[in-house]
Amino acid sequence: MNPVYFLCQQTMLFSIPLLIVALGGMFSERSGVVNIALEGIMTIGAFASILFINTFQDRMSGQPLLILAILVAALAGIIFSLFHAYASIHMKADQTISGTALNMFAPAFAIFTARQIQGVQQINFNNTFRIQKVPVLGDIPILGEVLFQNAYITTYLGILVLIIASIVLNKTKFGLRLRACGEHPQAADSVGINVYKMRYAGVALSGILGGIGGLVFVIPTSTNFNASVAGYGFLALAVLIFGQWKPIRILYAALFFGLMKTIASAYSGIPFLTSLGIPSYLYKMIPYIATLIVLAFTSKKSQAPKAAGVPYDKGKR
Amino acid sequence: MSGIGNSSKKSGWKNLGLISSIFAIIIGLLVGFLILLFSNPNQAIGGFKTILTGALTDGSKGIGMVLYYATPIICTGLSVGFAFKTGLFNIGATGQFTVGAFASVVVGITATKLGNIHWIVALFAAVIAGALWALIPGLLKAYANINEVIAGIMTNYIGMYLVNWIVKDTNALFNMLENRSKPVAPTANIPKALLDQIFKGSYVNAGIIIAVIAAIIIYIILNKTTFGYELKAVGFNRDASKYAGINEKKSIVWSMVISGALAGLGGGLFYLAGSGKYIEVVDELASAGFDGISVALLGLSHPIGILLSAIFIAYIKQGGFYLQLFEYSGEIIDIIIAVIIYFSAFSMIVRNFISNRERKRKVDHIGGSAQIPAPINEPSDYGSENEEEIREATQEEGGDK
Amino acid sequence: MDYIIEMLGITKEFPGIIANDNITLQLKKGEIHALLGENGAGKSTLMSVLFGLYQPEKGSIKVKGKTVKINGPLDANALGIGMVHQHFKLVHNFTVLQNIILGVETVSGGFLKMEEARKKVLELSEHYQLAVDPDAYVSDISVGMQQRVEILKMLYRENEILIFDEPTAVLTPQEIDELMNIMRDLAKEGKSILFITHKLNEIKAVADRCSVLRRGRYIGTVDVKSTDKETMSEMMVGRKVNFKVDKKEAKPKEVVLDIKTVTVHSKQKGNKKALVHDVSFVVKKGEIVSIAGIDGNGQSELVQAITGLIKCDSGSIKLHGEDITKKTIRYRNIHGLSHIPEDRHKHGLVLEYTVQDNLVLQEYFTEKYQKGGFLKRDAIHENAIKLIEQYDIRSGQGAVTTCRSMSGGNQQKVIIAREIQRRPELLVAVQPTRGLDVGAIEFVHRQLIAERDKGSGVLLVSFELDEVMNLSDRILVMYEGEIVASLKPDEVTVQELGLYMAGSKRRKA
Repeated sequence: MNPVYFLCQQTMLFSIPLLIVALGGMFSERSGVVNIALEGIMTIGAFASILFINTFQDRMSGQPLLILAILVAALAGIIFSLFHAYASIHMKADQTISGTALNMFAPAFAIFTARQIQGVQQINFNNTFRIQKVPVLGDIPILGEVLFQNAYITTYLGILVLIIASIVLNKTKFGLRLRACGEHPQAADSVGINVYKMRYAGVALSGILGGIGGLVFVIPTSTNFNASVAGYGFLALAVLIFGQWKPIRILYAALFFGLMKTIASAYSGIPFLTSLGIPSYLYKMIPYIATLIVLAFTSKKSQAPKAAGVPYDKGKR
Repeated sequence: MSGIGNSSKKSGWKNLGLISSIFAIIIGLLVGFLILLFSNPNQAIGGFKTILTGALTDGSKGIGMVLYYATPIICTGLSVGFAFKTGLFNIGATGQFTVGAFASVVVGITATKLGNIHWIVALFAAVIAGALWALIPGLLKAYANINEVIAGIMTNYIGMYLVNWIVKDTNALFNMLENRSKPVAPTANIPKALLDQIFKGSYVNAGIIIAVIAAIIIYIILNKTTFGYELKAVGFNRDASKYAGINEKKSIVWSMVISGALAGLGGGLFYLAGSGKYIEVVDELASAGFDGISVALLGLSHPIGILLSAIFIAYIKQGGFYLQLFEYSGEIIDIIIAVIIYFSAFSMIVRNFISNRERKRKVDHIGGSAQIPAPINEPSDYGSENEEEIREATQEEGGDK
Repeated sequence: MDYIIEMLGITKEFPGIIANDNITLQLKKGEIHALLGENGAGKSTLMSVLFGLYQPEKGSIKVKGKTVKINGPLDANALGIGMVHQHFKLVHNFTVLQNIILGVETVSGGFLKMEEARKKVLELSEHYQLAVDPDAYVSDISVGMQQRVEILKMLYRENEILIFDEPTAVLTPQEIDELMNIMRDLAKEGKSILFITHKLNEIKAVADRCSVLRRGRYIGTVDVKSTDKETMSEMMVGRKVNFKVDKKEAKPKEVVLDIKTVTVHSKQKGNKKALVHDVSFVVKKGEIVSIAGIDGNGQSELVQAITGLIKCDSGSIKLHGEDITKKTIRYRNIHGLSHIPEDRHKHGLVLEYTVQDNLVLQEYFTEKYQKGGFLKRDAIHENAIKLIEQYDIRSGQGAVTTCRSMSGGNQQKVIIAREIQRRPELLVAVQPTRGLDVGAIEFVHRQLIAERDKGSGVLLVSFELDEVMNLSDRILVMYEGEIVASLKPDEVTVQELGLYMAGSKRRKA
């Protein structure tokens, strides 16, 4: 296959989970709750849904199974994220500590449970989810080859999530209120908006999208789940910051970081890149270095939600 | 984040802190027990006993191993705790630990002509490397106002990839067969200091003594020196410190550098212990840094608390090794630790709750004396003005003026 | 009588204190009713009760004669009660329109319908002459316009009962007049207005009746026309208040602070405006020089430049003849400069530190308190014991009390004690009485005058015109970063001062 197409397809596979998870993180942070638990949420989402696939793959396969697995991932993610929400919102715990605890809990729980159930910690699955070619659309030159051949429905899901997320955030009552809670919760409260409820909603959305993102990350890149999403949750956090908490910019950031990941993992197969002689580790490091650089240049006028990370004290109850 | 480092001179607070730590531990263990019970009811009691007492199974060897495992996490715990005390959340301790470990291994493998001081130089290299790695988030925090948590996460990954890259690309360091670093020279191993005689068969070495000394030094810096006064002042209130003429940017950088030096020391102590530890070239963050967060939280960021909580965590981890006998996976220990951290995050609330009640009682007793209840969890919807008003009103009650 | 709101026998307690003790407040339809009380009298608590933020232990609330239970702002809004908070509740990166509709959005299928809302806002804005730009971001508009947005928020919700919480604190005398007109118009339209303040002039100017609170208790309600200011102030404070501060004629000596053409630019990117522009003046020993002006006209920046918290972009600052323009904050601190900062929580104190540690904030490193890098704990403690006695600082555990747990007045005393005992040649005091009650205010004023009489130069920055008029020997007025007038307090009226402050009049110093 043409290496450019290969690179584009691979980039999509790496970028889409980053996009979905970072958009999840966006909802949480714009409601005012810093969520470094994305890594743990992804792990739990991937764990639950891959376990589900592993259990039911004898009876079903292909897209129906994948769709059910996505629902399982979302459910697992939302349940897990609620622990973060409860600690951050009701208990006014330090949000970084709570997130760290959940990040430690997730892989330990995944390994423990997997071993308890099946003896080993890897959970295998058969990848029956790849779509060879979407009818009609797959025949479009260039675009068809990149987007509609050898693709997964998760790619389209990612794009759908992006569209919905930007509409919800900018065009709806829910989005307006959510943003108010992340910027000035006292103002939101003074006009009768339930800040706690909005923040729970924000964190729950990050749970849904984080959980799905975990599954979306594992499916195309592996045939088993080994209790880890390889730092993708933290990378998604970097995407969120790099994207300055805005949906479209998050898309660009996810594509950029996905490209770097792709190059790092696939460069030995691409003659042009090997001839450059840049070691793969550098590509692995670039997203993190780039995030630091962007932060250094934007910190003076950062778009970060003003009240993110600050527990809101409602007083009563 | 500033709440974490709060230490009050009032003795009552320390007890409350202790209570909240014990509360978190009990809940953590309880959750662990429930998970054991749920996954395999027949073995649960035995398994739980093993978690609690497994470390003692082999007598003094077990205790020696506990001290061995405690050594690096005392250091990372001090690293995180010191940062907490100075108002910073050093989640980057993991990266500083890794970079420190790397520096000590490089010196341990290559500088073979140093003889008796070889291990000291290697440790020193670890301290310097950790400090320098923490300099990045420190400078970014002080001069570009970048949240140290974000910068810490980024430098964790950068450090991990960088170390793996250099180890893999350097023939002198890389053991290709095992995909890990080569062993350090014997002279680079930390002396046993007779501890191997006391705790026969364990890996314990003088590293534990060095870690304890580090804790004492940190205690003195924080509580007895003008330097500690400055660092804590900056941690609590950067603006007021600047107003007071403290160079607050320099203080932030120093806090991070010292914190990083401690994490780096932990890396050195761990990889120079002569216990057959190598830098594995895998894309995974070192857990010792994150353990440091739990140690610091449980130990309430106090050096002595950190010593105790590090030993406790090492103790149940050691117990975890024996769990296989009961068909349980040792990861249950990590689950328990995660739950403990989770509840430590709340327990500050428990602490506030209890102290609020205590205050209230006191006020009732004295009856409108100048003792004022600080509205920590009082209603504060109207923001500061209202808090102010409550305080002012109290002041009137106290017959101020 | 036709009361629109009645709060009857309201009692609200907090641990250790009674914030509201059997308070009754009755508001008639269409009147402007002032609620008068000092800081800490219980006004804010009472309003929180009215908005359902706190539930009172005793008492009831009636709206239009019916007893109601208010559980939160939504209930209050449903009853037609709205409020302009002292600190505006506006989201900085939302537009004016978004801020107005927040919480009462018009939607169709979850999507925002902004056009109808815009139409309604423009109509209201025209009808009540409240000029706003609906598409401007709140962070870009003036404080005056922000206040109009807050008023429009209430009108948009069709509130009948409008509460203004200390609305004039941020306005010029002229803007205040404008606000008073708006309030009168609103009352004429049948709205009922509750006006919370501690300023008697404004009550006299606009209110029909006035209820007075003192130390959480209800003192009484009076008819404003037939009651003089002295009576009302006595009701508020509980004793006769001498508004004139006793002080002798100043005897200025040599110059202690000499400022020449100081300019400070904004540090924000893209904002080239000078915050302090070409400012020159002197302060002599033995005099109090005040800087009057509306908040945000460069006073804070000027003070920060003098104390070293920010750098000057050009010009020079001399302290008793020595050029300190480039010197560090610490150097200035130990060479005769003391600074009572604007925000005691932000700059003045490390709240988590004890009283004794806070009292050596600028001196912990000196020989007196330090040896070989180690703190002399005994010396620090003794210093605190001495100052606590001298300045009557009250706290739970004396020298080892954490400052966070102290009252605002006592926190301010800690700062004043610390700054004065360093024997400054120049004392810079910014808003030294903010948020304090009358007793504490008098204490602070006496201390400032005593410093002057001891021969220190005092530079006072205040937004309270009464304070400026009473304390100063000279008044400088700052407007948009420039000194626009240098005046003697006995040669100028408050109204005239207001014109300088608003920039509509200037007389170069």
